[in-house]
Amino acid sequence: MAWERGPVLPDNASLWTIPVSAAVVVLVWRRLLAYLRYFQQEGYEQLRFLRWTGVRPFTDPAFWLAVAAAWLSSRSAAWSAVTYVAGAALLIAGQPDPRRSGKITLKLTWRATRVVAVAGVVASAFWFAWNVLDASGLRALYAASALVVLLLPICLIIANALLAPYERHVQQGYEADAVRTLDRVRPFVIGITGSYGKSSTKSMLAHILQFKGPTLAASGSINTLMGITRHIRENLVFGCEFMIVEMGAYGIGSIRRLCELTPPSAAIVTAVGDMHLERFGSLENIVQAKSELAQALPSGGLLVVNADSPGALKIARTVPDRRVLLYGETSNEDLDTRLTKVEFTRQGTSFVLNTRSGEYACFAPIHGRPIILNLAGAFTLALALGVDPEVIVASFRTLKPVSNRLEVVEDRGITWIRDAYNSNQMGFRAALEVAAALPAQHRVLVTPGVIELGAMQAEVNQALSKSAADVCDNTLVVSETNHDAFVAGHRDAGRSDRLVAVPTRTDAFAWIKDHVHDGDAVILENDLPDLYEPSEGVFWTASAAGAARR
Amino acid sequence: MTDVRPPARRTVAVLFGGRSLEHDVSIVSGLQVAQALDPERFSTVPVYIDQQLRWWLGDDLWHTESFKGGGPDRSRLTEVALAPGFGASTLRPVSGTTGFSGDGVHVDVFLPVLHGTYGEDGSIQGLLELAGCAYVGCGVTASAIGMNKRLTKVVAMQAGVPVVPWRSCGRGVLDRGSDWMREIPVDVEQAFGWPVIVKPCNLGSSAGVSTAGTPNELVAGVLKVFEYDSEALIEPFIKNRLELNVAVAGLDRPVASVSEMPVTSQASPLSFSEKYKRQGRKSVGSSEGMAGALRVLDPDDLPAELRQRAQDYATTVFAALGCEGISRIDFLIDADDGGLYFNEINTLPGSMAFYLWSAAPHFWTITELLNRMIERAERLRAMKRGLQRQPPSELRLFG
Repeated sequence: MAWERGPVLPDNASLWTIPVSAAVVVLVWRRLLAYLRYFQQEGYEQLRFLRWTGVRPFTDPAFWLAVAAAWLSSRSAAWSAVTYVAGAALLIAGQPDPRRSGKITLKLTWRATRVVAVAGVVASAFWFAWNVLDASGLRALYAASALVVLLLPICLIIANALLAPYERHVQQGYEADAVRTLDRVRPFVIGITGSYGKSSTKSMLAHILQFKGPTLAASGSINTLMGITRHIRENLVFGCEFMIVEMGAYGIGSIRRLCELTPPSAAIVTAVGDMHLERFGSLENIVQAKSELAQALPSGGLLVVNADSPGALKIARTVPDRRVLLYGETSNEDLDTRLTKVEFTRQGTSFVLNTRSGEYACFAPIHGRPIILNLAGAFTLALALGVDPEVIVASFRTLKPVSNRLEVVEDRGITWIRDAYNSNQMGFRAALEVAAALPAQHRVLVTPGVIELGAMQAEVNQALSKSAADVCDNTLVVSETNHDAFVAGHRDAGRSDRLVAVPTRTDAFAWIKDHVHDGDAVILENDLPDLYEPSEGVFWTASAAGAARR
Repeated sequence: MTDVRPPARRTVAVLFGGRSLEHDVSIVSGLQVAQALDPERFSTVPVYIDQQLRWWLGDDLWHTESFKGGGPDRSRLTEVALAPGFGASTLRPVSGTTGFSGDGVHVDVFLPVLHGTYGEDGSIQGLLELAGCAYVGCGVTASAIGMNKRLTKVVAMQAGVPVVPWRSCGRGVLDRGSDWMREIPVDVEQAFGWPVIVKPCNLGSSAGVSTAGTPNELVAGVLKVFEYDSEALIEPFIKNRLELNVAVAGLDRPVASVSEMPVTSQASPLSFSEKYKRQGRKSVGSSEGMAGALRVLDPDDLPAELRQRAQDYATTVFAALGCEGISRIDFLIDADDGGLYFNEINTLPGSMAFYLWSAAPHFWTITELLNRMIERAERLRAMKRGLQRQPPSELRLFG
């Protein structure tokens, strides 16, 4: 081989240091951005990010490239350098840009920029430290870059920890500013919490209240301290009459903190269930976390509660001096609003609301029993706030389905039931119910199952799989995450032949393209965050197709 | 002696984007216009106005691809602002912006290609007036009236152009409980019968438009309008209707283009997606946006007299409103009785309606047309500058 017969290329190690170092810098920078995307998706939570990271850095070709170059360098400095630089160039070109690819792209916010810049400094520190300790020239360079590539997730975590005091300081300044703004404008604040249905209840209540007075509600599912702070600072202006705040519980005390920022005058508790059980440990903890909203209400404050949910009802019982209004469908309680006669058509849902003041026949161009129940909750509060019931009912007709939350769309003869956004078992069953009610020749379900259920996850998914087998002619279970539970569920139903296992969503769509025809219905149920799908797309553009699949 | 030197090269800033429903359409139109400007006569500066109404400069703005996803990468752009004050006409970097050389970009002529709210409604024109700039297209008054369908109808009627009758319903009804939900349908039924069209009074696109065949649908339609606008217009639905559009260019006198008939007009009013995204058979042009919609130019199955009348009405409305630049004037034809009604005016039409000018009998390319528009904008500005603004002695209170 060339290097054994003598150098064709100048084999002076120090000459090669510069191009190799340059390649290391660029490659490491690209990889940092790739990891940053997932760190951001995990909300800069170190433990969750580490759990996702696992042994992933060892699967990075950049690591093995450095190892190979280190081994080669003992034979020929020149060839090792050429191999490394060429390999690095290939890897740099092959890595998808995290700002553009994937389901949730990297947003280079100021915070993300700070984190990645400090992480870059930390990575350089590791790299220089190794080179100082190890004087073996080029080989040390390779070894150091191999080490740095392995440690990149750690670098991000260290950077985040170093920046924590600063971030806290910045955040407190923003919060104080938001509190000042709120204190000057003084809108009527409505807090909404629950294990599910928060976002849809918020957007539907905002839809109704806009006909009563200027209403501010953050779009999407902004429900954290930081998100709400920012929303207030950017959008709350004098003249705003109602402000609706979605309050997410990420642990005991998190809603209390939100209520300190935006003290509510009225509240809705949509449902308290087992979603995010993994995060809370027990159902009691979930109930306690959500009850913080009810406790934050002033005495006599309006508390609208879903009586169908025992957990929510429990919360209502803890605050006797609030004005509690109950809504529901199946509850035996004496309800203020009772949902009855729910019927699905392709255009939407017709239903009747029975209230103490009368009976209202309604139609809304949205689908699913839970969302209609949420609408009953929004109705109950709007009515209590003095909105004319006929105006409320008329406003239902112009509701729009939230994208990917049980959205029924006709496209080229196929009925798509899109329910990809963060599903839970109730939502899952609701989608199946709508799918069963709508006319279709064949029904195909695409789902990775539901997640974050702790020890119950397998059991829940098995039961969902069994129900799906009864409704759908084919179920495509995506990824390994809940594969076994789905196999078991279909076996329980005696329909193992109806289950199709696919590794990624892209494969699922390929299957659909071949097997779904006019008159069929496709249910897209739940879409896991990138981190639960196989490692496609972190280091290599295998998922350039991933960007196209949208 | 005639000066034989070629005219000095001007810097033209093309404004596009903006905070309206037609933000994306405006980007397509704006880039079409920026590409069409004569490079020998003009140095073109694309200026992107984002949905927060911040203004940006940068080379990335030349490419539609930059606008995919979350919009262009702001870190590669420079934020600029135009401050009121005569004689400035300079886009200055907003303080804190880095990577910008010099004091800003001096602009000779502004070319707004913004559709809808905050662009077509006189607001941006007001800013350009306050800064003493030359700009292409309608001034503040014509833009503002042209954006309001009800006021435009009043002006058109006054000028002798027939319009479809209407009822209007302002947001104020919401403060009156639910009585209006019974009263308005009764009034509308007596005046027009069913079905009716409900549309926002102040919107350029087809968003918020619906057809109502029952009182319930009418109320829902009005509420839907209130999601977009503070006033709803209700008009009888002409069952056998055709649409006919004519563009008018403000040269020494208003000149009408050939007419066009959107192909879908027989079925239903154009929905937003049909207007702007529809792909398929095209009679003219191959670009995106309005130029890519389905249409028949100068439809020869329509009587020549009707086409002529549309052109006459179009120039009449254009002149009555005091328009400048290029406007597109949309008519409805009642196919049952041959009635021709003025429907609405777009004072900044998609793609500047250039597909109507490149057809016979004018054979103007968009480049030629823009040359004339820019020349005229400069003359208008100079004329305005020359108007007496010095207070006469009796109004001088401080000597």
